Amino acid sequence: MFDLSSPIGLALIAAALPLAGAVLAAILGWSKLGRFAHLPAILSFASASVISLLVLAGVIEGDGALSMSADLGTWFSVGRLNVTFAFLLDPLSLVMLCTVTFIATFIAIFSAGYMRGDAGYARYFSIMSLFVFAMCLLVMSNNFFVLLAGWEGVGLCSYLLVGYYYAKPSAAAAARKAFLVTRLGDVGLVLGIFLLWQAGGYHTTFDSLFDHIAKYPPASGTITAICLLLFCGAVGKSAQLPLYVWLPDAMEGPTPVSALIHAATMVTAGVFLLARCAPLFVLSPEAGLIVSCIGGATALLAGFLALAQNDLKRVLAYSTVSQLGFMFLALGCSGVISPKVAVVAAMFHLFTHAFFKALLFLGSGSVMHAMGNVIDMRKFGGLRKLMPWTHATFLIGSAALAGVPLLSGFWSKDQILHGLLEAGESHAKYHTIYLGLFAVALATAGLTAFYTFRAYFLTFWGTERIPHEAHGHAHESPAVMVVPLVVLAVGALLVGLIVDPLTHGFGHFLERSPSIANAHAGYLAHSNMVEKPHAFSWLVAGLSSLLALGGIGAAFAIYRRGGPEIVPAKLKPIYALSQNKLYVDETYAAAFVKPAEWLASTGRQFDAFLDAIARLLSFAPRLIAGLLRPLHNGLVQFYALGTVLGLAVFLTVVVFRSAR
Amino acid sequence: MISLNHFLAVGAVLFGLGLAGFLTRRNLITLFLCAELMLQGVVLNFLAFGRMHGSLNGQVFGLFIITVAACEAGLGLALFLMLYRRGRSLDSGIWQTLREQGVPAAVDSEALPTVVAEVHPVLTVAGRKPGVGTPAEGASRV
Amino acid sequence: MPTELSDPKLQLAFALALGALGAYLLLPKPKSRSVALGTFALVAALAILGIFVTQSFGQPIGELVPDVLFWLFSTGAVGFGALLVTQRNPARGAIAFAFVILSSCGLFLLLAAPFLMAATIIIYAGAIIVTFLFVLMLSNVKGPSNENDRSREPLLGSLAGFAFIGLILFALLQSQPAVASTDESGEAEFALPAPLLTKDDRVALRDVRTDLDAALATDDAKSVGEKAKSAHDKLAETIGGDGVTGRRKTVLERLRPLLGDSKNPSTHDPRLLAFAKQTLQLQRANDDVEVKYLMADAGRADKASLQKLRDEVTVYSGNGQLPARNVGNIGLLLYSEHLLAVEMAGTLLLVATIGAVAIAGRKKGDNS
Repeated sequence: MFDLSSPIGLALIAAALPLAGAVLAAILGWSKLGRFAHLPAILSFASASVISLLVLAGVIEGDGALSMSADLGTWFSVGRLNVTFAFLLDPLSLVMLCTVTFIATFIAIFSAGYMRGDAGYARYFSIMSLFVFAMCLLVMSNNFFVLLAGWEGVGLCSYLLVGYYYAKPSAAAAARKAFLVTRLGDVGLVLGIFLLWQAGGYHTTFDSLFDHIAKYPPASGTITAICLLLFCGAVGKSAQLPLYVWLPDAMEGPTPVSALIHAATMVTAGVFLLARCAPLFVLSPEAGLIVSCIGGATALLAGFLALAQNDLKRVLAYSTVSQLGFMFLALGCSGVISPKVAVVAAMFHLFTHAFFKALLFLGSGSVMHAMGNVIDMRKFGGLRKLMPWTHATFLIGSAALAGVPLLSGFWSKDQILHGLLEAGESHAKYHTIYLGLFAVALATAGLTAFYTFRAYFLTFWGTERIPHEAHGHAHESPAVMVVPLVVLAVGALLVGLIVDPLTHGFGHFLERSPSIANAHAGYLAHSNMVEKPHAFSWLVAGLSSLLALGGIGAAFAIYRRGGPEIVPAKLKPIYALSQNKLYVDETYAAAFVKPAEWLASTGRQFDAFLDAIARLLSFAPRLIAGLLRPLHNGLVQFYALGTVLGLAVFLTVVVFRSAR
Repeated sequence: MISLNHFLAVGAVLFGLGLAGFLTRRNLITLFLCAELMLQGVVLNFLAFGRMHGSLNGQVFGLFIITVAACEAGLGLALFLMLYRRGRSLDSGIWQTLREQGVPAAVDSEALPTVVAEVHPVLTVAGRKPGVGTPAEGASRV
Repeated sequence: MPTELSDPKLQLAFALALGALGAYLLLPKPKSRSVALGTFALVAALAILGIFVTQSFGQPIGELVPDVLFWLFSTGAVGFGALLVTQRNPARGAIAFAFVILSSCGLFLLLAAPFLMAATIIIYAGAIIVTFLFVLMLSNVKGPSNENDRSREPLLGSLAGFAFIGLILFALLQSQPAVASTDESGEAEFALPAPLLTKDDRVALRDVRTDLDAALATDDAKSVGEKAKSAHDKLAETIGGDGVTGRRKTVLERLRPLLGDSKNPSTHDPRLLAFAKQTLQLQRANDDVEVKYLMADAGRADKASLQKLRDEVTVYSGNGQLPARNVGNIGLLLYSEHLLAVEMAGTLLLVATIGAVAIAGRKKGDNS
């Protein structure tokens, strides 16, 4: 066992607190105290956040590798497979734990205002706590079994929360879609885990698995297959091409849920998985290339789709998909450049993105709250005066997302671009492709700035228009919703600047994680390269700043008068293409859903055919039964007579046989 | 010399008669008595065999049969009482709700012979003028 | 014709057919009930059955009193049983059943079961009185009623019942040795009780007893001596003995085939051990007579030893019968071998009592 006051003990307490919160909220919901259900959730998140930050403060000093593991006993044991409740505390999991609990705390506070008076108040907070707990389990896991438990727990809770308004058909459909689409990816993940288990000498913990593979490397094809299967899971969970379609629909749930899914808990799981498995990816440049390509394609495609959406939340959803694509772009580089750069860049972007994306979603939630649950940007506009706090914080979030210099998004995006450029300039096999991806990333950065500020201008600028659904009560949100916005806005403003560029503390801290250190060692052994010092590139920074400001400027030029937007006739087809999401959903429906439905209906007819045969067969017993039924006339004496006559016949046979 | 088979034959006849009665009679109490008749046949068999082997175990068996018959009598009569309370009849034929769905209830097709009840003369009470009202009324006025 | 009529299978079949027909005719039903024909058929069936039993299982000739009693009681039991089955009035049926019980109790007595007879009479008398009360209470119907004047499947029911009788009797007939019907004392296999003494032994013992009776009856010393000598010699020849004139034929030699392994007495049949003990006692009494009576001056000694020998012979002739002290022995058996069964029977009675109270008790809302 371990000491509860040790860092990992505290971290486990922090991870377990949301579970306690979930149970308490459920109990409150059963009793008559449902309206206080937000208290256990908020308190557990806040205390978990404080504890994990304390742990972080305790271990942040120092230089050596930081890794603590704990076994909470055997889960199950079959033959050579001995699975324990193994947990791991290293910089990677600690950063994730802090981010998740910190962001979740403010989302929960916001939710307390946003969801007030809803019928399922306790249910909401109970599932939300469970959601956070599942994510904590995922990031704290030290083997794939606990990780998978957390992974599926996250999937289940997202299903429950997206389908929170289960009486609404579209919400139910969106929940089902989210669950089934991510399940497609999970199949790959489970297969990858099996393959990895076999290739990794049947070890269970991450470190021993990766050590075994480093010592006895299997065929490169096997490694690539493992990497791609694991990436398959990440594609589903983190909404990459071609499985991204569930995420834009997932905003059918309450807006804070979207914030939670997009910022902290759900979609970051895929990025975390790949960061955790970085030692594998450095061994397979091909897999890394595919990860990067899919990330780049997703980033660009989602950026394009976000251009013409009328739904504010949908714009943000596509921006999440796009930013996740950025993260995968960086992760895919880890075989070509040092994982110390690539993985750290991805994790850094994840970290900053959590702040401003939570902020943006909560801001849109605040707008939605004021507008009477209307989120269509064509129906409102010019809310600058009406909602000053929301406006200010939303502006900061948009700027951070767009990558305005000195804001948090700028720094992390800069690291990614820098890493891509380094990969492109290296002498690796596929460096030209990485150069192309660098260009794609730059284009996406410009698009990001444009569509973010399009949404911003359409919402907050121009003449004030309020939809009639608001019933004239349009107002700034209450303090319980504004305070989280302000806190997150401060984070979005400053966290990037404080954490990395000035101190390089984030990168140094993450490098102490054994996963990344091992990956770096593997990278050095694999590519025979000398470690280059990480340097700030003015070229990349300048380019990205230029693109960000250019995008903002273009948006300002076109949309500063607010809506309704006028589309030039020449651009109409492209606009329609973007607005209709490139007809991807329709294509999927035609390619996969329709054949499946046809198969199902054919199977149903075949079933009916079999039923008919069975009925035909069952007719014979019915006929015989119909003949015999009158014997059951309910008279007990008649039954006795039957028994006696039968016995008499039997005895006659016996007696006369023995008489012969 | 009376042999074992003589007693066994008597036991068999008692058993068979009881069985025939049990299968055909409809009065619950007669049914019960017929079952006891069968038991008597069985006891006779046990005693005869016990006598043949010079062993008392047959008589012990007989004792146990009497015990069981006593239990049966107690429970059976209690059940008959219940059934009589419910159906106001000792007829075993009225209890046929256990029959299969859709099978018509068994009904007795032949009519019972009607016995014309003897009419007893009713006299008017003394001290009253005869012929006033019907005799029955006169009787009930007492 | 006579040969055919004496064929037992034909008799059996005929008796059963007649019996089934009689039962069918007599069973109460609204139509086609014929009391006269039915009674005639049943009585005829009973008579043919009697003939069948007599012919097939041996004519019970010999001891007059048990035979008469057997026929009386068995006819009574069967006749009153038939009356119970066919009687329309349940109250009369109950009375008929009482007579069945009395008759079968007589049969019990013939089977050396006095305790069971007493118990049956006492218990059934109580039971029948209770039943009678029920009849009086519940069947106060006047005129014809469904339960008393109808039968359920009278033909099939009578056929089934008589088929059972026929099957059992036929099986008995099959197991009966063919010579049994003619030979008076050849029924070794089915005699009641199964004998331990052979036929010759019994004849010899009867002669010995006759001699001893004669010796005890007369006062003439010489004839007493002769008779005593004759009895003693016969007895010694039959059962052997260690006496002066008796042949050396030990008891154990005679009993060895019956006893099986003599080295392991725990497996012995207690009845056989008792028999061996009695044989030894008889031998000793016989030796006593020889020493005290025959070897001393004849006639001078008293007749006590002769009287003792006679008692021993009498007891010995009755060997293989059920033991005396019927009640005591049943009690011993019940509380030694059948203790568990006794306890279970007691529990069963208790449960039945509680069950009867629970069933018959008036429930709430039962307004009848």
